[in-house]
Amino acid sequence: MKPLRVFFTGVGGQGTLTATKLLAETALDQGVEVNAGEIHGMAQRGGVVHSFVLLGGYASPKISLGEAHVLLGFEPMETLRALPFIAKDGLVLSSEDPVPPISVTTGREEYPSIDLVKSETLKCSPRAKFLPCLSLAKETGVVQTANTVLMGAFFSMGVLPFGLDILLESIEKRLKPKLVDVNLKAARLGAEYITRDK
Amino acid sequence: MNLLDPKGEVRELLLGNEAIVRGALEAGVGFISCYPGTPSSEVPDTFFRLSARGSYYFEYAPNEKVAMETAGAAALGGVPTLVTMKHVGVNVAADPMMTLAYIGTPGGLVILSADDPGCHSSQNEQDNRYYARLAGLPCFEPSSAQECKDMAKEAMELSAKWQQPVLLRTTTRINHLRGPVDFGPMKPAKTRGEFKKDPGRFVPIPAVARIRHKVLTSNLENIRSEIENCSWNKSWGEGKVGVIASGVSRSYLKDVLKSNPAIKVKVLELGIAWPLPENTIKNFLKGLDKVVILEELEPILENDVRVLCQKNGLTLEVTGKGEELPLWDEYSTLCVEQALAKATGIEIKTQELCNPDLAALPSRPPNLCAGCSHRSVYVNTRKIFGDDAIYSSDIGCYTLGILPPLRSADFLLCMGSSVSSGCGMSRVVDNPVIAFIGDSTFFHSGVTGLINAVYNDYDLIVVILDNRTTAMTGHQPHPGVDQALYGLRPGNIEIEPLVKASGVQHVKKVKALNQKAVSTALEEFKEMKGVRVLIAEDPCPLYAKKVLGIKRTKVATIKTSGPASLECLNTLACPAFFKDGETVGVNQDACAGCMVCVQICDEIKPGSRS
Repeated sequence: MKPLRVFFTGVGGQGTLTATKLLAETALDQGVEVNAGEIHGMAQRGGVVHSFVLLGGYASPKISLGEAHVLLGFEPMETLRALPFIAKDGLVLSSEDPVPPISVTTGREEYPSIDLVKSETLKCSPRAKFLPCLSLAKETGVVQTANTVLMGAFFSMGVLPFGLDILLESIEKRLKPKLVDVNLKAARLGAEYITRDK
Repeated sequence: MNLLDPKGEVRELLLGNEAIVRGALEAGVGFISCYPGTPSSEVPDTFFRLSARGSYYFEYAPNEKVAMETAGAAALGGVPTLVTMKHVGVNVAADPMMTLAYIGTPGGLVILSADDPGCHSSQNEQDNRYYARLAGLPCFEPSSAQECKDMAKEAMELSAKWQQPVLLRTTTRINHLRGPVDFGPMKPAKTRGEFKKDPGRFVPIPAVARIRHKVLTSNLENIRSEIENCSWNKSWGEGKVGVIASGVSRSYLKDVLKSNPAIKVKVLELGIAWPLPENTIKNFLKGLDKVVILEELEPILENDVRVLCQKNGLTLEVTGKGEELPLWDEYSTLCVEQALAKATGIEIKTQELCNPDLAALPSRPPNLCAGCSHRSVYVNTRKIFGDDAIYSSDIGCYTLGILPPLRSADFLLCMGSSVSSGCGMSRVVDNPVIAFIGDSTFFHSGVTGLINAVYNDYDLIVVILDNRTTAMTGHQPHPGVDQALYGLRPGNIEIEPLVKASGVQHVKKVKALNQKAVSTALEEFKEMKGVRVLIAEDPCPLYAKKVLGIKRTKVATIKTSGPASLECLNTLACPAFFKDGETVGVNQDACAGCMVCVQICDEIKPGSRS
């Protein structure tokens, strides 16, 4: 396969690291060379989380500015902040549902408009796609599955050397039994949304 | 994944820290001690999680010095031993560590030091390769998950063979990477040994220490010849420009060379760079015009190579630290690429970056969780003492109280320092001084500061923020936590009697979430002199849910949103609150049900969770 660097950005508590691990383990199961890394600063909820999955034979556990072939954004403002990591012709796939930081919830600062996030992103990545991850996750009854919604969409875009069916297998194999059904549903919702959008 | 599988022959995706565990298990580790600290914590956490099924002995120590002393003695007793900590933890453990290198460790002792270039979760980015040189410890530096496993195993074996403690030095990237690891067979854990008495070796009175210092240097010479030709130190590639790389820089180098075939260099990878494999390096340098040294943080190898060149009359150009390769932060493929382009004179097209204007974006600092009992105490303390008091802070979640509106951290030195340094401050300024310390931190080394405070008659209010766990590093137990919670022998050490036994006259214990109780105690303390200790206890909400199984049924509801709820939002900065125009709302999914807001604001009432 063509080597692929996937950059994950999100907010602590969103399940960004679970999604990262799921992709890396899926790659291992599929015999794809894989290396992954995560940086979550202080182990508190609410801070920025960056993580990385490197497929196809990289040694480094990190992605530098301008190196990400794919940017997966679990939170739109963090997607915007991470745009300098995107390589030329890179693909952005992001949630469009904000998780506002404390400065915004207390009314001291203003959250950027989603239209601005989208237009700036499209300048960097003309193929960029946005999904209402939180509203789709709510349809499963468990709002915490928003991360899997995004992964469902990602796996069905044809960028990875494996598709949605493999993600569904991985969810059954790798997640705790009580979390499997809602996450299968979430992955399918993300996939349906992105393919319908095509 | 079965980390305890004795056969191996499988391939698993492991966190660097999990791989270290497997490596130690393969070497037959029998005794493990630690103090948790990011990025090292998953090593002891994994041993702890597996301990019911594993045949090794594992414990959490109250601090790194205790961990080192306990582990050192287990190794003296002939048992293969591992002790783990983060880089700054080695400072705490340095005293016994220095002497363990002299007397040696017959069973084998590996010291894991997890360094943190980039200060992802630390107060400094000290380079502990200096400790290897200072103490005389052979030093392994893995660059992948597989190497974490293999090096942990080899380090244990090398240590046992030469009876010398060995440093396994990782960095945050390595601890927290995930990569495939091939398992090897696991030796049975050796948990019992034999201590062969030899006071002339193991009791380092001056006459003994003088001799042992020479033994240490001669042992290091033997180890040096052994590592000269080991598979971790290897050369490959061609060219007149050489590159010597250690640690994670080896991985960045490989990726840069792969993506830039025009760059032709000769490479020397050093997986064990101390004791310095002098012959290997000397042979590598011969015939080169130039050598670039790739190492994060300090120019340690670079200086070693310069010395080697001078000793051997080599005149090649040595480059390292500079514009592309700074003395701080982590390296990356980007900086390594720039450094190599400069050294080889090959032009590399710089990647055009997307550069949206990010300056105006709201920042996203980490915040105390919704329902955190520290927030409750901070809000109350500030209400009573305001800006007049000086707040001495410590290492833990509660350091996040630094940010407005809480602003309850004015200075901080290191783990366990808030009581002692609060004392020093109180003697030289007229302001009241309040020291905040956590429960794990109190046991770590706060209690000695408290003893000093009483003995030397200081004026200090100490607030022990007791959330019943070591919250920041991932909820590890400490001596204050009842081990029965983990299915172990019941028992714990209570903080209150310990404080009293230290001679403190004014001690109060309250529920941290009870605003009235906290403020009554603090108001009373405000009028007194001497050492006053408030123990504010309430479990960390994440821990309460995950480990204690406590479900909070209440949720905060805004009855009518007016100026009071707006003020409450600005006072607490609770992540469950949000401002919507001029009204305030509470996100029910985020609210932890602590009910602190209900106590300070008439417009908020407890409701039932829907």
